[in-house]
Amino acid sequence: MAKLTHQSLDSFRRELEENKGDWIKVGMSTCGIAAGADEVYRVINEEVQKRGLAVRVEKCGCAGMCYAEPLVEVCVEGVPRSVYGKVDKDTALKIVDKHVSGKRLVNDHVFNVKVK
Amino acid sequence: MEARYRKTLLLKDTGALDRTKEFFNLFLERLREEGLQEEVQVVRAGDLGMYGYGLVVKILPDEYTYVNVEAKDVPKIVQTSLKKSNPVQDLLYTPREKQMRVVLKNCGEVDPESVDDYILHGGYGALKKVLTEFTPEQVIDELKTSGLRGRGGGGFPTWMKWNFARKVEAAEKYIICNGDEGDPGAYMDRSVLEGDPHAVLEGMIIAGYTVGASKGFLYIRAEYPLAIERIQRAIAQAQDYGLLGGNILGTEFQFDLEIRLGAGAFVCGEETALIASVEGKRGYPSPRPPYPSVKGLWGMPTVINNVETLANIPVIFDRGGAWFSGIGSQTAKGTKVFALTGKVKNSGLIEVPMGITLREIVYEIGGGLSEGKKLKAVQTGGPSGGVIPDKFLDTPVDYEHLMELGSIMGSGGMIVIDEEDCMVDIAKFYLNFCVDEACGKCSPGRIGTFQMRNYLQKISSGQAGEDDLDKLEAICRATKKAALCGLGQTAPNPTLSTLRFFREEYLEHIRERRCRAGKCIDLLRYKIKQEKCKRCGVCAMHCPVNAISGSREEGYRIDVEKCVKCGQCFEVCKFDAVTRE
Repeated sequence: MAKLTHQSLDSFRRELEENKGDWIKVGMSTCGIAAGADEVYRVINEEVQKRGLAVRVEKCGCAGMCYAEPLVEVCVEGVPRSVYGKVDKDTALKIVDKHVSGKRLVNDHVFNVKVK
Repeated sequence: MEARYRKTLLLKDTGALDRTKEFFNLFLERLREEGLQEEVQVVRAGDLGMYGYGLVVKILPDEYTYVNVEAKDVPKIVQTSLKKSNPVQDLLYTPREKQMRVVLKNCGEVDPESVDDYILHGGYGALKKVLTEFTPEQVIDELKTSGLRGRGGGGFPTWMKWNFARKVEAAEKYIICNGDEGDPGAYMDRSVLEGDPHAVLEGMIIAGYTVGASKGFLYIRAEYPLAIERIQRAIAQAQDYGLLGGNILGTEFQFDLEIRLGAGAFVCGEETALIASVEGKRGYPSPRPPYPSVKGLWGMPTVINNVETLANIPVIFDRGGAWFSGIGSQTAKGTKVFALTGKVKNSGLIEVPMGITLREIVYEIGGGLSEGKKLKAVQTGGPSGGVIPDKFLDTPVDYEHLMELGSIMGSGGMIVIDEEDCMVDIAKFYLNFCVDEACGKCSPGRIGTFQMRNYLQKISSGQAGEDDLDKLEAICRATKKAALCGLGQTAPNPTLSTLRFFREEYLEHIRERRCRAGKCIDLLRYKIKQEKCKRCGVCAMHCPVNAISGSREEGYRIDVEKCVKCGQCFEVCKFDAVTRE
């Protein structure tokens, strides 16, 4: 990586913005990991790869709702951006199957929806 | 890509009865009748962050929220808001967002292991702005405008701290980030370090530029392995991108960072002890003045800020000091992160504007108490703070108001206490913590806390007289005055504040030898009420020490000599025949 300068920082950011597609984020702070986020992250990653979906799987920090960990946020074009809570292995598979592939929200686990 | 559904309807029953499934089917039926089932998706939500509003319906993308929806409203909602896009006025509710995310805006948003993602979310923009548009004096002015005060507990104005260090002439200056979070029940700093490490780094680099430092240390306790790993990665990435090291962002400025691990001593969160620890010495506090901003690490001017304070810096320069000072109360600007725990329904990390009331925090953000119990008090400030009883729930949360009530804002632990908690026991818990963690350098900290704990022990075991309360208070006051460091001076706070607001509970322990919450086991006595006992024998089966004797024919009795007061029999009896006094 070439060193950033104050002139190149903004153009680098724009470049990143253009390449940002669909994504899934798993809350992977200590609170999330304690509730089983490690497994959820692995399952989602495997499933996304298996199906060859064009969605990035990333980690994120604590969103504050520790009572609802593990938390998974999904931002896919054409579906309201949603935060899922109390996600286990089965729900994680449903999220990939229904939300990412099927463009439909998963029942009983939505904790928040965000309108862009 | 084309959306599969034109509209989304989310629903959740937030009342006592869970009718979510019932309404889910009602809406589905109605949509089928209207032939809209392919256009609208109905979703059962897990939790919508609202409580006690009956059945709640949210409609997207219009963002209508309807509360207390009844079956008769279903056709109207489908007609008005799903077929068309108009609101149903009489059900409409505008949720007021109680939380405000400034420090935590990236936590849960940004991938903490990727500097690219941080930059994508506007990261290092504040650093660029400061390096190219601000002189160090202007940075200080902007911080002064913002009104930012330290978030570690003391609440000292940050601009003053920075300005003291900036003005001193020295060969080298240092920036230290205090990540030695040790209060029981507090994890704000951990979440920020784990969730948004680059924001802390950016805050430190700006601090370095302002005071003229070229070196900084992040002091993080070793019990936070994930935070350490992420900070380490963030430092390496920042060095790689030219955001740390020489010629930062192509300017003349150079600054670098290192991690120092804390070995888990509570005293090392105190700034002078922390500095000693970074120097490789034993973590002992030393008297102030001189303050670290004048004479700190290796005798050089040192700015030492808490994690949350530093995480505020990039936002202030992104959006301006004036914007920041528009948030919060008269004397406290901005927001505060709290770790809301204890007997509250939704425990978690919250960020609220200063000046919000405790009632709003507990009932509207925390969702009230678990199992419908009654709130007794809220503890803030950990072992340096105090309890705030329920009658003061409408107190605005800021430095001064909490201080008036004998508590402190502290670093942000907030523990909700209900009727099943004993105030003597809580005071004892915090003192036990202080006794364990006392470093031993000054006698008030070493002996004072020990003696206070002994008196509390005496009270909770029913061996104290009323004059012991006066002695306890006298030691509290002496320790407050004479201890060397802040932690020692504040160690009596939980005791003093429970004495102030819950004296009658102390007196009950002394006069009646009774603990109303059933926590002080030396004062408890379990008994079986023969007239209520059905002679099922479940209590005897569960007793771990065989203290319950008898048979189904003769009935059962508890042998007080053998009983260890674990309360198992009390828990398992279905007929309330076991009593606790």
